Amino acid sequence: MRRLQVVHAFPCCVLLSLLCWTVAVPLDCKDESGALSRCATISQEKLLDRVIQHAELISRVSEESCTLFEEMFVPYSMRAFRNQGGNACVTKAFTIPNSKSELQQISDKWLLHSVLMMVQSWIEPLVYLQTTLDRYDDAPDTLLNRTKWVSDKLVSLEQGVVVLIRKMLDEGMLSPSPPGVVQYDVQPEVLESVLRDYTLLSCFKKDAHKMETFLKLLKCRQTDKLGCALY
Amino acid sequence: MDKTRDTPVLPHFTGCRSREQETFRCWWSAGTFSNLSEPGALVVFFQMKNTPLSDWQECPEYTATVENECYFSKTFTHIWTSYCVQLRATAQNITYDEFCFTVENIVHPDPPVGLNWTLLNVSRSGLNFDILVRWAPPPSADVHTGWMSLKYEVQYRQRNASHWDKLDLESGTQQSIYGLQTDKEYEVRIHCKMSAFHNFGEFSDSIFVHVAPIPSKESVFPTMVLLVSGVVGLLILLMLVIFSQQQRLMVILLPPVPAPKIKGIDPELLKKGKMDQLNSLLSSQHMYNQDTYREDPWVEFIQLDLDDAGEKSGSSDTQRLLGFTRPGPKGDDDSGRASCYDPDLLPDAEGLLAAHCEMEEHHPLVSESGPSTPSPEATDAPFLPFRTQPVGQSWINMDFYAQVSDVTPAGGVVLSPGQQSETPGMNPDEKKKKGEDAGDEEVEKEKKLQLLVVGSDGGYSPEVVARQVESSAPYSPAPENAYHALPPEPGEEPQTWSVGYLVPDGEAQAPYFLPEAPPASVLPPVSDYTVVQEVDGQHSLLLNPSAPQSPACPPNPTKHLPSMPAVPMGYLTPELLENLSP
Repeated sequence: MRRLQVVHAFPCCVLLSLLCWTVAVPLDCKDESGALSRCATISQEKLLDRVIQHAELISRVSEESCTLFEEMFVPYSMRAFRNQGGNACVTKAFTIPNSKSELQQISDKWLLHSVLMMVQSWIEPLVYLQTTLDRYDDAPDTLLNRTKWVSDKLVSLEQGVVVLIRKMLDEGMLSPSPPGVVQYDVQPEVLESVLRDYTLLSCFKKDAHKMETFLKLLKCRQTDKLGCALY
Repeated sequence: MDKTRDTPVLPHFTGCRSREQETFRCWWSAGTFSNLSEPGALVVFFQMKNTPLSDWQECPEYTATVENECYFSKTFTHIWTSYCVQLRATAQNITYDEFCFTVENIVHPDPPVGLNWTLLNVSRSGLNFDILVRWAPPPSADVHTGWMSLKYEVQYRQRNASHWDKLDLESGTQQSIYGLQTDKEYEVRIHCKMSAFHNFGEFSDSIFVHVAPIPSKESVFPTMVLLVSGVVGLLILLMLVIFSQQQRLMVILLPPVPAPKIKGIDPELLKKGKMDQLNSLLSSQHMYNQDTYREDPWVEFIQLDLDDAGEKSGSSDTQRLLGFTRPGPKGDDDSGRASCYDPDLLPDAEGLLAAHCEMEEHHPLVSESGPSTPSPEATDAPFLPFRTQPVGQSWINMDFYAQVSDVTPAGGVVLSPGQQSETPGMNPDEKKKKGEDAGDEEVEKEKKLQLLVVGSDGGYSPEVVARQVESSAPYSPAPENAYHALPPEPGEEPQTWSVGYLVPDGEAQAPYFLPEAPPASVLPPVSDYTVVQEVDGQHSLLLNPSAPQSPACPPNPTKHLPSMPAVPMGYLTPELLENLSP
């Protein structure tokens, strides 16, 4: 009996030490070569602020891109489509709360994960949008620049959210992009490229707003948990 | 609502709005369908376009206080969700209008509250100022939790302006307004919108900004500097103008006074004493013509009054004098001329005579009488025009001056032949010289040498003296020639002058002035010319007693003659006269 207890205790200690080790190790930053290196430490609060800034900028630029595209390529008759574009957007695998009350009841974890999923879901479609916009004859440079910028910023936003998740939620490395969510599937009836692009931009604009809102809510909870959590 | 015959307006939604992204309302209108305006006639159904399409639900709450309003509470408000509302008639199954939207796109935030301003600073000139405007987010908007991110826009205008100036969107709760003008009242207002959306909310109440201008010394200083510099600049400009246009201004302001000027005569000539040129100029004028000697009418009338030839032998002298005519073809008696030619001319007189002779044109002493029409007996014209003979030798040789040889007790001056400055004895000499012309001379004698009458009372004019030297060639023989000078009565003596050649009457008492040409040392025993030393009260000339040929010494002792310069042309200048005057 004593021999079994010792034998059982030893793997627990190993696991525990491993666990401690993973937790205790500071955030490792990977440079471009992929080698692990010590990186400058940043507080969680500042990281969250920077993530929120990213989300705000992305939301604003997406709105400007949508407006530019609408003015340039979308006839007046179709402009109301934005309001109706809710059902044209991709439906997520999970339901996202869509009211303030529901959002206030959602946990931080869920918020962060939602943000991460959204960011990861839009990286590829925006790259695709970039190629389609280049095919337009008279696409303004401002529109192209903005979409390019948004694509770049999404990647850094993803990185930040990943670190944030790890920091705030004490979770380990997550897989980059869960499959199934990322696939962007446009409604089959929307065949025209212009409408397709317009729908894509509108949906992205909405999701950017969501991300911004989620992160701000998260921020509020960090500072004033009681005030923000209350209804 | 138009209830005219216009096209009927269907019931429709007038709008849906959300103030805080948590609730929203929709309003509709019955249009021209008045029967549907009754409450309950129209109903609203909505549907959320989620993945599992929900059913159409009727309006959760019709606002009791507001007509035709459907209120969606928080429970029914879902953002990032598409809504569609329909306006249906209760009775019939007719859908008049449908309107689809997402809540975040219909959010119009409430206006910010607590708008106030504070003065930042006033410019140095006191004309402009800056203010800082502060506000608070609308209380309905949950910006604290981050539910809504608002952007604010401040607008301002002057009190009575119609256009609002807009500032850039501001995320914070304060903003500065720069460049406002003092003593003007401004109106400031603010509204806001969701960060990534377009819908602005209502404007807040306006606030009024007014800053009184601060009178400062500095504000006055630039004005003074400007004024002073402007005045100085003007003065400098004026001075420049004056200096540049000095000449013109002088002419305008101080017009030159026209000086007395003889037309055509250059004053420079007078200064330099170029008498020749001056004379030539003057001769071209009619005012003063020296050549009038020849043409002067009264010169012409120098007549020899042979009847009243000198009482003494002076008569012979006078006759001789009168007999002096120009030698040559003219054959006129020209005492002067003869004297010129006379080789026996006394050296002392030569100079003078020569000088006189040269002054041919100026001393038309005697003109040729040859061609002159008047004969000695000619009485036709009392004054025959003095024909100016061509300048010939006669003029040169003319003796312009006749020496006074004697003074009669009556006061008359007896002239003696000029060149022979001696006693009356000379006269015969002269006569001899002119022997050939004696006949002519005699003829000439009969001619009246017209003396120029100087009819001035006590006045003496050098011109007259000059003129008197002349003798008219065509001597009008008429003794009663009015122009001849006079045999003045003694009584008249003091009143009139008669200067010039003594009329053959010999009565002329006018003294004859002769400048003393040669120096005293050169004077011959008999000088041809007698220098008048002084004039007595009776206007009689007092001659130089040193002159031997003047036996009749003037009653007054003569004074030592002052050296007198040779006066050309026989003029006695006023200066000379002054020397002689008592």
